[in-house]
Amino acid sequence: MTNHKPAGPKPIGPRRQRVLDAISHRTPDQVPVDFGGSAVTGIHVSVVAALRDYYGLEKRLVKVCEPYQMLGLIEPDLQDAIGIDVSPLFGRTTMFGFDNHNWRPWLFNGLEVLVSGDFRTTLDPDTGSTLIFPKGDTSLRPSGRMPKDGYFFDAIIRQKGEIDYDHLDAEDNLESYKPLTEAQLDAIAADVAAANTGERAVFASLVNTALGDIAFVPGIDLAEPRGVRDVADWYVLTKARPDIVHQIYDRQVAAGIENLARIHARVGDAIDVLFICGTDFGTQTSSFCSVKTFDSLWKPHYTDLCRWIHDNTTWKTFKHSCGASERFFESMIAAGIDIINPVQCSAVGMDPQMLKNKYKGRLVFWGGGVDTQETLPFGTPEAVRQQVLERCEIFSQGGGFVFNAIHNVQAMTPLENVVAMFDAVKTFNGRT
Amino acid sequence: MARSEELFDAIVDGKAALAQSLVGDLLAAGAAPMVIISDTLIPAMDEVGQLFQDEEYFVPELMMAGRAMKAAMEPLRPLMVASGAKPAGVVVAGTVKGDLHDIGKNLVLSMLEGSGFKVIDLGTDVPPAKFVEAIRLNQPDILCLSALLTVTMLAMKATIDAVVAAGLRDGIKIMVGGAPVHEKFAKEIGADGFGVTATDAVAVARSLVAA
Repeated sequence: MTNHKPAGPKPIGPRRQRVLDAISHRTPDQVPVDFGGSAVTGIHVSVVAALRDYYGLEKRLVKVCEPYQMLGLIEPDLQDAIGIDVSPLFGRTTMFGFDNHNWRPWLFNGLEVLVSGDFRTTLDPDTGSTLIFPKGDTSLRPSGRMPKDGYFFDAIIRQKGEIDYDHLDAEDNLESYKPLTEAQLDAIAADVAAANTGERAVFASLVNTALGDIAFVPGIDLAEPRGVRDVADWYVLTKARPDIVHQIYDRQVAAGIENLARIHARVGDAIDVLFICGTDFGTQTSSFCSVKTFDSLWKPHYTDLCRWIHDNTTWKTFKHSCGASERFFESMIAAGIDIINPVQCSAVGMDPQMLKNKYKGRLVFWGGGVDTQETLPFGTPEAVRQQVLERCEIFSQGGGFVFNAIHNVQAMTPLENVVAMFDAVKTFNGRT
Repeated sequence: MARSEELFDAIVDGKAALAQSLVGDLLAAGAAPMVIISDTLIPAMDEVGQLFQDEEYFVPELMMAGRAMKAAMEPLRPLMVASGAKPAGVVVAGTVKGDLHDIGKNLVLSMLEGSGFKVIDLGTDVPPAKFVEAIRLNQPDILCLSALLTVTMLAMKATIDAVVAAGLRDGIKIMVGGAPVHEKFAKEIGADGFGVTATDAVAVARSLVAA
């Protein structure tokens, strides 16, 4: 039996230190910056490629590190150019259930990028859309579709027939949540060791503990998904059979904790931030459920998960929830969530100053830096600059803020606006 | 016929099988299809809309009520067609080209159908030419365009431009909606109406056909 020792004490460079200060509600030397740290704080591969050209970096094809949303890997040279303080630590298996390895070129809307050797696609002859296969196995039914001339994939619903809500087995929706293999653990330990240089904070997305995230409900990683896999049916399930949802979350969290315990035994405190869940609770103007429903259906499970993390590690817990999510913040804090993202200030009840006043010292805002529905894609560089400066001014008081746009920077975002965003943060930080 | 409280509650509570069975009972007892719709189903969907506005109902409840409404309409639809009864309006709808999202669109359409509109759903990733063809074929009162993504919002404009180019713009009203869509954008691309929520969409559609 191999005896693995957790990683030793980590060196702490200035970039990592400023993230640690910010997420501990201490005032950092500068506002820390994340882009590319996770699947919700990234940049579309086409924009990453354009940024490499803009900064005059070595010509190389950009890797698609997250194929569902076609996010590009931001390598250290681009991290330096932008001024990024966070390093990503993704599991090697993608959302489509194949590993990121054996990179090969792929032509994407005229741009050559690198994709996994198991990123296998065909063209739908009827629509011209690109179909992608779970586990990279073209003998299976495709699980994702990208429209012709589109920029990312969406799930293909492969649910078998109509749901009989009176006869459901929670086990059917748990197929994706298995114990990590020893080989997977070895890979994670190697990746953590590589990321844990101390230069940047390590942001890990390693175990799927997302409770009811509709990106995962369709089971796009599975050969033949069973159970409730239609997103609309899932929403109905939360109302029609909360007992089944509790069973799913109970077992999912138990499996997640088991995997996290094994990871922690191997890597210790080499991780700074852990992505725990991307379920959206907010809409533009309201929410997907009441606070009462959140407190009864989600909060107990988040509490179990966060309690284990806080009792056993130094990792901070990162929760993503788009839209008008403020009404849930008190419950999330009580459940042990340390960091909220993407802080969609354009949604109802998400005024930046109000949020900072109300949650200062209790909740870290990771995002909120610029609006990606209007200002960043459709505004002028000056409008971007003004908004970034204003948001930094508000959110950075007393720490508790990591700069990121509100969700991923999308394809077709004007490069001059993206650069204006980075430059404005540098201006705020006194770098130029 | 007075409102059927049982059917009203079945819709509001999202009980699809019960709603359909109650409609069957009412028809067997001699109730006119149009009266069932106007006296019970439409008020029930109005109540659902109000509960949503009051934040007592959320997306799951809206979906369940929409499904119950759809189930209730199933036995009524052929009878309505046979009797030549006029709907509140005819709607052609779809998610625009490049966008595969349909949850919001489906919510809007179930609310519209529940409010007496005839709905022709073209699905998702619908190219402008297909919208034009559907307008020619169905001569709707309203064209509803949906988009969830900032990168596909622009396809709404391309669709409206195609409708204008085909010479069909004057005969219809156009409504747009979806998470990133806002009123200013709706005006800029030449839409007549915009709704933030599914219940807004019903109010906007009613006002557009009344105009």
